[in-house]
Order: sequence, then structure tokens, then C-alpha cells
Amino acid sequence: MNRRTLGCFALSAIVAAALIGPAAAQRRGGDVVIGITQAPPSLDAQVSSAQSARNINLHVFETLYARDETATPVPELAEGVKISADGLTYAFAIRKGVKFHNGKELDAGDVVASLERYRKVGASPALVAAIESVQATGPYEATVKLKSPQATFLDNISSPRAPIAIYPASEAAKEAGKIDVIGTGPFRFVEYRPDSHVKLARFDGYVPNPNGKQTRDGFAGKKEAFLDTVTFRFMPEAGARTAALEAGEIQFNEMSDGPTVKRLAADRRLTIHKLLPFALQVIKFNHAQAPTSDVNFRRAVLAALDMEEIMAISFDDIYQIDPGWLYPGSKFYSKAGAEKYNKGDLALAKDHLAKSGYKGEKLVFMVDNIRPNVDTATVFQQRLKAIGVNVELSVSDWPTVSKIGFTPTGWSFWAHGFGIEPFEGPGSVMSPWVNGLSQQAKDPKIDALAAAFALELDDAKRKALFDQFQQHMYDDAVAIKAGNYGMFQVASARLKNFTPYRIPRMWGVWLEN
Amino acid sequence: MTSASPVRDLGLRLLRNRSFAVGGGLIFAVLLIALTADWLAPFDPLRNAFRMRLQPPGAAHWFGTDHYGRDILSRVMYGTRISLLIGGLVVVVTGALGTVIGAVAGFYSRLDAPIMRLMDATMAFPSIVLAMIVSAVLGASVVNVVVALSIATIPHTARIVRASVLVAREHDYVEAARALGAGDLRILFRHVLINCLGPLIVRLTYVFAIAILAEATLSFVGAGPPPPAPSLGSIIAQGRDFMREAAWITIFPGLTILVCVLGLNLLGDGLRDVLDPRSRS
Amino acid sequence: MAAFLARRLAGALIVLLLVSLMSFALIWLVPGDPASAFLDASATPDQIQRLRTALGLDEPLPLQMAHWYGRILRGDLGESILLQRSVSAALIERLPATLSLAGTALLIATLGGVAAGIVAAVNHDKWADQATMSAALIGLSVPDFWLGLVLILVFAVSLGWLPTGGFVPFGESPLGWLRTIALPALTLGLVQLGFIARISRTAMLEVMRQDYVRTADAKGISKLEIVVRHCLPNAFIPIVTVIGIVAGALLGGAVVIEQVYSIPGVGRLIIGAIAARDFPVMQGGLLFLAVVYLTVNLTVDLIYALVDPRVRLT
Repeated sequence: MNRRTLGCFALSAIVAAALIGPAAAQRRGGDVVIGITQAPPSLDAQVSSAQSARNINLHVFETLYARDETATPVPELAEGVKISADGLTYAFAIRKGVKFHNGKELDAGDVVASLERYRKVGASPALVAAIESVQATGPYEATVKLKSPQATFLDNISSPRAPIAIYPASEAAKEAGKIDVIGTGPFRFVEYRPDSHVKLARFDGYVPNPNGKQTRDGFAGKKEAFLDTVTFRFMPEAGARTAALEAGEIQFNEMSDGPTVKRLAADRRLTIHKLLPFALQVIKFNHAQAPTSDVNFRRAVLAALDMEEIMAISFDDIYQIDPGWLYPGSKFYSKAGAEKYNKGDLALAKDHLAKSGYKGEKLVFMVDNIRPNVDTATVFQQRLKAIGVNVELSVSDWPTVSKIGFTPTGWSFWAHGFGIEPFEGPGSVMSPWVNGLSQQAKDPKIDALAAAFALELDDAKRKALFDQFQQHMYDDAVAIKAGNYGMFQVASARLKNFTPYRIPRMWGVWLEN
Repeated sequence: MTSASPVRDLGLRLLRNRSFAVGGGLIFAVLLIALTADWLAPFDPLRNAFRMRLQPPGAAHWFGTDHYGRDILSRVMYGTRISLLIGGLVVVVTGALGTVIGAVAGFYSRLDAPIMRLMDATMAFPSIVLAMIVSAVLGASVVNVVVALSIATIPHTARIVRASVLVAREHDYVEAARALGAGDLRILFRHVLINCLGPLIVRLTYVFAIAILAEATLSFVGAGPPPPAPSLGSIIAQGRDFMREAAWITIFPGLTILVCVLGLNLLGDGLRDVLDPRSRS
Repeated sequence: MAAFLARRLAGALIVLLLVSLMSFALIWLVPGDPASAFLDASATPDQIQRLRTALGLDEPLPLQMAHWYGRILRGDLGESILLQRSVSAALIERLPATLSLAGTALLIATLGGVAAGIVAAVNHDKWADQATMSAALIGLSVPDFWLGLVLILVFAVSLGWLPTGGFVPFGESPLGWLRTIALPALTLGLVQLGFIARISRTAMLEVMRQDYVRTADAKGISKLEIVVRHCLPNAFIPIVTVIGIVAGALLGGAVVIEQVYSIPGVGRLIIGAIAARDFPVMQGGLLFLAVVYLTVNLTVDLIYALVDPRVRLT
């Protein structure tokens, strides 16, 4: 046996141990504290589309359908669905024997009440816009009638964005933000202390989905809780999260910076996880105002930017240079328009700029006060200085930025991440640009492509439509995708079987002694 | 050459005051650096060099680099300029408005109560919170930071001026001027305000120091002048995420603020000793 | 005394009215909307409007104002939009942390400041005086948030003696309380310590120049006795006044120090409310801070008037 085969043997032994090991070491009990960057705006899952709310709410609540590891909708609280031939009627069979955290059994009444509530107060009304009516057609059957066929309806029903969470009918009758936090998920709500933490505990009455995969599978599959409690502690300062982790006060840090991770890599008490890609970093243009309404000006900007520089400074060590408006590996991933991405070509940029009507006026780059977004804006500003474009930064907090950013005046550029849209799929990636919502001027080509996409059932044709969309994003420089970014997540080495996902899932993981 | 003018006399007394000399020296040095940053700064304070990110202090970068690869020494030099500019503007605005408000309140007794109650109400809010709200309302810019800090520093200044005016108003020479038919404005400027000048100058020197500290604090909580302007406070704020890995980003601008504020406080002490010896408190 | 008290209270009431009006006015001055905190970047204006309606934020302004005054007159500050509790409850929850921080800082500043002032005054113009006063001036000139960062770096990160932040209530663990409050209180107190030291020194020097002190000195009474028996009581008034000012400054300073040390106090509550546009908490929190400030000032005025009858006439 030479050295190499020994190495191979050792490696396969490790793989085998990894495959067998976990089952043997699984342990019930223990408490995990997670340091998260932001407090959730609400534990009423239906009314918030903020990441900080999802982090917690998707441990407590479940939906009729949920996304699996590849973001495909699979049954969760539903056993399945019967879709009528005309595509207008969806009859959901509801799983029997599912218990809410208050002990009540789930039935069709709860489902109907929850869907009706979402239609009234849900934070993503587009998800349920196609619904004509919702009715209980049996004790365990809820039937949804649509106004017109919608190819993406199951995608919508299973969206984790502001999830169409199923509440007990008693809670679904309450106003937005006024519910008692009662769901069907593997963890139940214990307490919420503002500015401090949310605490969850294992729900021992949890009934795993017998029809799904018998492993952890995205937001679906088997959700087996081992931990006694999970506490989400709100720790906005990166340094404080790291220090708390090193001191053993928390067992998981939701987000860490590249330079910090480099230092922590040597610490054997910690495990570093890379969640990449997590979002697209996007620079939006205001098409309602000159000069960003001018396609030549936008092309000049696209040609000028060096994406490596933007991403390396904004997201040190945790980025991908990638032209796609979907995540690599997803079904509809496209390279259309890639030749125009990451040119960093100042001469070409100047050519485009000369054709535009730009006269040297000062343009506002609006950005919220999250550091990587400010970094992106700052690098952008310095880069455009080289082709004679005068950019001024306007940094405000999120409420101000999000207010101005959907009006046609007061800004020319705006940068932020798109995380959940590429996860949800092509329809969600297109929708921010439909009706001129994000660029403040209608783009007939995008509107036509998105409308066709919503009706098309054939995957090959859908792929072609999305290719056209992405090509158009580059040809007209509708908006600029800078790259994919991710998050370093650092955990105590005692936390076993964790894999990063859109939220730090605490089911299927356990603490080693 | 024997007629020593009062101004010259004052100048001599100031120079002989140790606080004034040391403080003045510090401020002069800081001012010099701020004014000559264009020539002295080794690098462009705004130029990114992403391959030189987070370099520790060394031969090329004396104060190290930040996460953009920008030279901290150069940024601190330009940052001093921005901090001094903001402090100076706050002094001008506070000096002008504080004087007018205080003088009006002190001189016209009918306006006294309403004005001073308004000042009291403004002072009841912590100034940093007040400044944060002003900055949320108006947006972050150098001008708005000046507005925010001035709103926070005016009430106290107005109070000091008012107190001096109240004293001066009762003096005989004011009565005399009035008997001679001088108008209110003339009396106010020629006779009353000249007497408040001492306490006002002392107060404004401290306002300068307070403004530099408050600008740094505002920048730290994210309500300062927008990037890429390297104000001292914003350099510290940007370094905070890398405190552990790159403490130099935070340390040097902080020390610079300390030197500026210390210099101004010493200057203020010296001025107070000479100009306003009664109010030694 | 009664007339003085009445005049003072009337003045405070007018200020209170102005303060409540200013706190309310913020709701239409500050741009942005509480609804936006609930939503991600792709939220449309329609969605925000829907949520506004759902959260009951669509009342006309005069009606909101009527509600505001109706409520505060009953001592009710309203309901938080984000925190799922009343504003008063949220404030009361945070109060122990802020009081611990500001109270301990005040203690450090007062004890340290008066002691330093006495040392300096007794050793007037000697090296101890100059050293103490130089230190006081440096303390006065340090940006407090920066000092906080440096102290964290040294004592929490490098030496590992104390936690980097957070807060443990005294009732839960007195030792834990002390460990979490030590660095923040020191940071906050040090700046004000310098201030009090300077005032105390001046006040002491003033008193020591008085004839009776010189006489006592001539009689050969020990220096310590002179200071304790004669000087301190007479230097009391200016020192009390300055402590009143310092208490107000500490409340404001605590806002920033709570951010640096991640302490869930009133300041952090208000800053979080500003960032999320949780208007009821913003309004109620500001009103609360202002009322505390006014109460402290009024108390100081009263002590002043009790000790020094001449004040009552002005």
C-alpha cells in the first residue's frame, strides 16, 4: 500500500465516518444562542418580508407548500394539490394530525382563515393577487379559485419571502401585528424581549411531514428539533457578535466579515461556514430622470465598472464575479449578456458617454447606511470620476431611502442586495422591473416578457424568455448586477450537522457535549 | 512709543498665559496640517487600492490603510480639515444666532420669557438625539450637520449673552445713551454687546471644541457628513467593524480629535483667565 | 419660598408643553414610514400603503394630535408599532440599564471629581495640582465613544477581564451587573469627572481664600480638618449645581455609550425607534428624557434655593 492509496483509504474512512457518525452522535437537549444583526420587525410572519423576521418566523410557522433545498415547491402542511384542467382551481388536501403549538389540530378552517388574512394584510400581496376565492371544501380540504391561470401559483404559495404562514383560525382573525405567535413548526415561541432577544423552544408535539424527504430539505423535509431552546439575540455590531462567540456567550454568529474570519480560522473551537451566494448586489438606475434615463449613459456606466473592485471592497473574500441574474446552478441560470459584464473598460465607457446627453451635472447615489452598500456606492463614485461623471453620495437610514427610491425624483443610482428574488426564481427576479417599479419608467419589453413568463408552462420556453430578459438587462443596462455576495457564518464547533441556508436552520442540528 | 494700547496689553497678557500658549500652539499646528494637507498628505485620501486593504502601519503607510486600501494618515489630515471646518461654521452660526437671540431676550423684557422657555425646551432634549433627528429630517450633509449642531449649542450661548446683557442694561452709560436719544439697535450694538464680548469669545471657543466632539459622535452613529468625505468621526465609525483586526483605523483619528479638542479647551481656559476672569468656573 | 416654588413650577409647565409639542411634531418632520421596517427592498409603495392602513397609521394629523394630548394627560404614552407593548412598558423595561449606567457614572464622576478637585486645591500650584488638572482636561477632551472602543479593545478583547457589552440586571446577578456596567460607567463618567474636578477645585480655592479658613489655618488646625469641616460645606452649592448639569449630560451621553456597549437602555430604545420610525416610541421616549431632565434641573434649583436664600429673589 503506497502513500497515495493510504491517503485515499483515510479519506474514504473520513467520508464514511461523516455519513455514519452523525446518526450515532445525535443528542437531544442543549441551548443555542444565535447572534443576529437585526431585531425582527414583527413575529407576525405574514406581515413582514424582512430577512430578520424570516430568520425566526420560519422556525415557528409553516406553509401549505414550502421550498426544498433546490427552491422547488413541495407539499408541507398540504398532502398535495389537485389542479383543474383549466388551471383555475387548486384543491389542497390538508395533512391530518398536525398540531398547533396551542394543541389545536390543523384543519381546513385554519387554512382558509390564514389565506384570507394574507389577502388583507400580507406583506407581499402579489403572491395572492391571482386568487378569486378561498373555500373549505371538506374538513381537510381547502379550495382556491384563481381569476386567471398562473403558472407560478405554487411558487407563490410556498414563498418564504413574507410567508403565507398558516395560523390557527382564532389568530388569523386578529389585526396585523396583534397575533399570539402560534404555528405548527418544530419550535414554539417562548418570549420576545425588545432590543434583546427572541426565545424559542422545541415543540415536542411537532408532527414531521411523512410525505416529504426524510432529511432536512430546504424549508421542507423532515424538521427534527434536537435543541431544547434557540435564542436569537439582536447584536447589530459585528465586533460584539464576534467577541460574544469567542467568549462562548453565543454559539452562532449569523454574519461575520472577511478579515475577522481570517483571524478566527485558526480557532479550533469554531467552525466557519460560507453561505454563498446569498444575494445579488445590484445598482439601480432612475429611468425617470436624465441622464440615467439615457441608455447611452447607462451603457457608459456598465462599461466603466470593475466588478472585482466593487465586490472585493464591499464583501471581502465572500463574493462571486458572475453575470447571471439567478444563482449559479439554478434551473433557469443564464449567461445571456455576459460579454457586457465586468468590462472595466474606461475607453469604451467614454465612447458611450460622448453619445449621451450628460453635461457634467452632479448625480445622487442614494444608499442606506449598511456598510457594504456604502462601500459599493463609494467605489462606484471613485470609478466614475475617471470618466468624468460627477457622483454625490446620499446616505440615509432605510425608511428614508426606501421612501425616496420608489419616487421618480431625488436619486439617480441606488444600490442594495436582491437575496430572496433569485432564490424564488426567474418570475421574482423579473417582477421588480415590471411596470417600471424599480426604475421608475415602464419598460415595454420587460413587461411583455414577464407577462409571457407568468402564463408559460413549458420549461424550455420559460428558459428562453428569461434569457431574453437577462440579455435585455445588459443590452439596455436597465440596472447593473455587480456580483453575488455571501455571508460568513461562524458557529461553535460543538454545533453539529449545520449547513448554511437562507436562514440559519436550527432543526436537524445538535450540540455535542 | 509709551502709549501701550489696550489691545496690545491684552495680547501680551494672553501670550504670557500658559494655557493659551500651549493650546494656541496645538491649534496652530493642527490648522497648519489641515491647510497644507493638499501638499503634505502622502496619498489621495479618496483613492481606493483594494489590493492594499487593511495594511498595518509601516514605511509606506504610517497610519496603515482602511478596508478600501486608502491611506489613513492622508485621510486623517483631510479629516482634520473637515472637522475644523464644521467646528468653525458651528461657531459662526451659534455666535451669530446665539448673540441675537440672547440679546433680544435680555434687552426686550416682554420677549424674554417666551424666548428663554423655548431655549429651555430645546435644552431638555439630549443634544446628540436632537442632532440625530435634525439629520434624519434634513439628510446627512456638511451643512445639515452644522445646522444640527448649532441648534444644540445655541440655547446655552443665548443664555450667556442674555445674562451679560441683563447686567449691562442697568449700567449708567446705557441710561445716558438713551437720554441722548440713541435708538435701541445702536445701544444694543455700541454699548451693550461690546460688554458681552469676553464671555462670548470664551464660550465660543468651548463651542468649537464641543462641535468637533459632537461631529465625531454624529458620524459615529451614522448621521455625519456622507462618505467619502473623511471626517474624523466617520473614519472611526468605518474602522469599528475591523476594530479587532485593524485597530489603527480607529486609534489615529481618535487621537487627532483628542489633540484638537484639548488645544481648544486650553485656548478657552487661557482666554477665560484673561478676558473674563470673574467667571472662573 | 412658596412663591418661588410656584414660579418655578409654572415655568417648568410651559417648557413641558413646548417639549410635548416638539416631541409630537417629529412625526411629520421625519421622512419615512414605520411600515418600511417590515418590508424588504422590493416592497412597493402600494404594499407600504396597505401595511400603513393595517397598522392604523393613516389617521389625519389633527386627530393624531388630539389623541397624543388625550393620552399623555392620562399618563399613557401609547402603543409601540414594532415592540408589541406599550411605550411606557418598553421604557420601564429599559430604565434599569440606563439608570445603572448613568447612576454609576454619576457616582464615579462625583466622587472622583470632588476628590481630584480637593487634591488640586489643597496643593494649589504644586505639581499635584498641575498633574490633576492636566488629567482632568484630557478627560474632558476625549471623545467618549472612542474611549469606549479603546477600553473594550484593551480590557475586554486583549485582556479578557470584562465582557465586551450587554447588560445583566442587578437582581439577576450582582457580580454580572458589576462586570457589564464597569467599563461603560467608567467611559461615561470619566469625561464628566474632569468637568467636576475643575469646578470643585475652583470652588474650593474660592472658599480657602476666605478669612475664616485662613484663621483656622493660622490656628494650626490640621489641613484635613479644615477641608472637611470648613471648606467642603461651603463649596457645596457650586458643586451641587454642577452635578445637576452633569446628570443631564449623562442622560444624553448614555445614548451613545449604550450603542458602543450594546446596552439595552432608554437611549438605544430611542435610537432604534428613530431608525425604524416607530413614532410612538420616538415621541414617548423623547418626552420621557425631557421630563427627567426638567425634573433634575428643578430639583437642583430647589436645593439651591433651600441652601442659599438669596436665589429665591431672582
